[in-house]
Amino acid sequence: MSLTIRIIPCLDVRGGRVVKGINFKDIIDAGDPAEAALRYDQEGADEICMLDIDASYEARSTTLETVEKIANQVFIPFTVGGGVKSIEDVEILLKSGADKVSINTSGITNPKLISEASKEFGSQCIVVAIDAKYDSENWHVYTHGGKNKTKLEALSWAKEVEQLGAGEILMTSMDKDGTKSGFDNALNSKLASILKIPLIASGGAGKLNHLVDAVKLGKADAVLAASIFHYQEISIKEVKKALQEEGLSTRL
Amino acid sequence: MKIGVIDYGASNIFSVVRALNSLGANTSVVKKPEDFNGIDKLVFPGQGSMGSCMSRLNKAEMVIPIKEFIEEKPFLGICLGLQVLFSGSQESIEEKGLGVFSEEIKKFESPENTKLKIPHMGWNQVDFSQDHFLWNGLESGANYYFVHSYLSCKLKEEFIYSKTEHGQIFNSAISKDNIFATQFHPEKSGKLGLKFLENFLNWRP
Repeated sequence: MSLTIRIIPCLDVRGGRVVKGINFKDIIDAGDPAEAALRYDQEGADEICMLDIDASYEARSTTLETVEKIANQVFIPFTVGGGVKSIEDVEILLKSGADKVSINTSGITNPKLISEASKEFGSQCIVVAIDAKYDSENWHVYTHGGKNKTKLEALSWAKEVEQLGAGEILMTSMDKDGTKSGFDNALNSKLASILKIPLIASGGAGKLNHLVDAVKLGKADAVLAASIFHYQEISIKEVKKALQEEGLSTRL
Repeated sequence: MKIGVIDYGASNIFSVVRALNSLGANTSVVKKPEDFNGIDKLVFPGQGSMGSCMSRLNKAEMVIPIKEFIEEKPFLGICLGLQVLFSGSQESIEEKGLGVFSEEIKKFESPENTKLKIPHMGWNQVDFSQDHFLWNGLESGANYYFVHSYLSCKLKEEFIYSKTEHGQIFNSAISKDNIFATQFHPEKSGKLGLKFLENFLNWRP
């Protein structure tokens, strides 16, 4: 046996509520995060991810109250990201109940944050999130929730953060996010072939076979999705069954 | 009944405390020798390096109280809490472990040509090799959550209660008398993990 493919429902949270946007825009309210997390746990989620989607942009710290509420009732690995700017931010999230903290924008402006956080708390709890968009033969890295384009190329940035001590890469394709047209398997398979750390594929889930393809073609170790699980378009059980039919190992 | 949870200062113990509290346990953090007063059962959670953990425990004068406690009362080691029960680890030559088991903790073998990822992180299968009170209501072959780079491989069969495979087979649960330890994290293993912790709370070795 080997490690199972992880299915990770993601809660995009703003101001203590789950929200959902298309291509990082047009935000709508979608419920209570703790209720959603509990439901996902019962449905067989392998991890829960919560992203404070505009914490970085509006310079607000992540809602610790929500983190604590989720951590008190959900006993599977729990990743929290959004607006993480310092070692202190990482520490307070871990103390509030996160098992892993995801770093995005601040890791680009201050790469030392990634190395210091992984040294201080262990690589296993540092996830580096990358928002990437295809543009003339390359995937470029964007910051501040997809608002600012950087000069960084996604593949080399991912490799660099691995060397800095990141324990996992959460790759979101901005081209695919919210489109329900499938994951960016070209980007992910390239990434998986150069990474030694696990790859979480994100952005584009719409149909059952998209999640299967993210693993089979995109070579992802874990698949993350928000709205399809949130609106119960596809259940976590269905995804696992489909993966098993393809000979991939899953939990439950 | 009071459950002590060891905090050696470099690990996130909150998830274990939360999980035990959700089962109605009366938990208390154990940081210094005086904290052992009134503790009926001890849980030792932890992640990371055995060397730095033992050196912190030595500094806090916690090694002798832990050794005395585990001679008679129920003890549950989780992850690093399993590894400290051994005499030592490949990772640190200078710091000795608690020495309940005379063998050594080794690093995962990761041959260059494999896609095997280390740390071993995620859900993997736990195959029971012996029956135990702590397995009550649980089935062999279910998945539990792991995060580690070091492992226990050599040990007398009589002490091994489950095995798991990640490139190589290692001991994922071990026990001797009133001591039980898991390489996986029951506090992060969903319902099955909570059932296991509940069994520990009910255990009368």
